[in-house]
Amino acid sequence: MTLPSDSLTKAKSIARARKVNLSTVISEALSEGLKAHAATERSEEVLALYRKSFSGFSDNELSLLDGIVLEPVARR
Amino acid sequence: MVDPASGPFLFDTSAESWLARTKQSDLLNWMRAYLSLHPIHVSAVTVLERIRGYGLIWRHAREERRETIESARVAYLSALGPVWPLDGAVAVVAGEIMALVPDPPTPPKRSHHLAESRQERLSRWRFDGMIAATALVARMPLIHNNAADFEPVRSAIERSPTRFPRLGPLELIRCTSLA
Repeated sequence: MTLPSDSLTKAKSIARARKVNLSTVISEALSEGLKAHAATERSEEVLALYRKSFSGFSDNELSLLDGIVLEPVARR
Repeated sequence: MVDPASGPFLFDTSAESWLARTKQSDLLNWMRAYLSLHPIHVSAVTVLERIRGYGLIWRHAREERRETIESARVAYLSALGPVWPLDGAVAVVAGEIMALVPDPPTPPKRSHHLAESRQERLSRWRFDGMIAATALVARMPLIHNNAADFEPVRSAIERSPTRFPRLGPLELIRCTSLA
């Protein structure tokens, strides 16, 4: 595994300040990064599902999906 | 602008679908940011209204369209986050709201030759009361797209705090003010 030198320098400095070893700092950073990546992926996935849920419907059908039931008005 | 990190929020039925359909890039970005931090919380009443809607559309649709409607319904159910139940606490609070504001503050909806019956309007009003009660019990702000209906509920709760001990105020956030 190779790391950008500026990231490695920052990680070393954090490790020194916290008195932990370098691999602890790198594994924490990686874990946070992966969590953020997964959250972004899930966010896009949910948004796409929501958009699919409401696409292809007419205005009256969208009203029905919002709980508004419209019926034909009886002509006098 | 509402900080997405200040969530989670409870989404009203029409707010959920309005935000899902928005084409405004600032609102879409807000939704992305919110969804990367929190799920969309809804009341069981919202799921009821939505699934009834899919069911009614499916029942009146031609055979060849039914698969598309069903896949939209499945997509909705797959996207669902936490669903708050209509339990004893929500029922008590919803009952108080319905006693304070028994009649819908706005008339039945109309569209061209279609109209909402008085009975349907009253049911929908009661569902709104249950959703507001859920937000109070869950202690979450309610994201809505219907100030004309929810503001009277908020005011009524504010005027009668003794009917809602240790609950309230009802915090309302309009969809349009999110981003």
